[in-house]
Amino acid sequence: MKPFRYDRAQDMSGAVAMLAAAPRGALLGGGTNLVGLMKLEVATPDVLVDVRHVISDRVEELPVGGLRIGGAIPNSDLAARPPTRVRYPVLSEALLSGASGQLRHLATVAGNLLQRTRCVHLQDITTPRNKREPWSACSAEEGFHRQAVIGWSEH
Amino acid sequence: MEVEITLRVDGIEHTLTADTRTTVLDALQCGACTVLLEGKRANSCLALAVAHQGADIVTAAGLARDGNVHPRRRLFIQHDAFQCGYRTPGQMVSAVGMLREADCGSPSAVSGRRDGDDVALDQKEIRERMSGNLCRCGAYANIVSAIAEVARR
Repeated sequence: MKPFRYDRAQDMSGAVAMLAAAPRGALLGGGTNLVGLMKLEVATPDVLVDVRHVISDRVEELPVGGLRIGGAIPNSDLAARPPTRVRYPVLSEALLSGASGQLRHLATVAGNLLQRTRCVHLQDITTPRNKREPWSACSAEEGFHRQAVIGWSEH
Repeated sequence: MEVEITLRVDGIEHTLTADTRTTVLDALQCGACTVLLEGKRANSCLALAVAHQGADIVTAAGLARDGNVHPRRRLFIQHDAFQCGYRTPGQMVSAVGMLREADCGSPSAVSGRRDGDDVALDQKEIRERMSGNLCRCGAYANIVSAIAEVARR
């Protein structure tokens, strides 16, 4: 893992300022995807801006229908809380079908949206991969398991 | 990049100076893949210690009561439910955390659609809820039977 500085944001404007000052920085939530990629040196941020404590971890039903889901809510909490479980059981079931209890407790909803592609070539820095370096090639086209069954892009 | 990190491990506060890259697993030096982090099961290898300043952490060693073997650990011994040095403490912590979650009515992919205040821990439930610990050493069947015995009590 490459060395990095750790900054914990105290509020939203602080988080924005920290990230603006770190062009090669990354946002940290639960870290379940990012830390693994940092170990493999697929992700090499020089600063981690921890925003887990400054974004909402609440889930609420809106009067017009739908749910408002805080980005820092762990997957396990979102699956278990009554608005999801009672009114949106498919969402709850989908969350509970992903990963494991250990990971769902750490993983955040916002982090989920920022997850990188689950491709063995993305994680193997010895093989070219467009998603890591645009226009370098797509190893999944011909490589291990030929994962690019539907298609691929140059970036 | 070194920082000062304080963690409360098994009830005792420790302050160490460590690189930001140090995970909770590295900091503990006890080889447990699963710990209770603020009371919940978590992968110690993916949690950066610096991101969990002041956190309350329970390891397998912390499960012992007054120096005696935790009753669940005794059941692991009786059922020959052992894996390697990383996984067995992880499985024990996971079992304790999982039983606590089930007591609180936390849903799983097996019981997700039920109202869930009363989770019946049958074999299927135990397998699903304990699925976060993988080990090539096997012994899963014996772990399930050890936990099933705890759940019946």
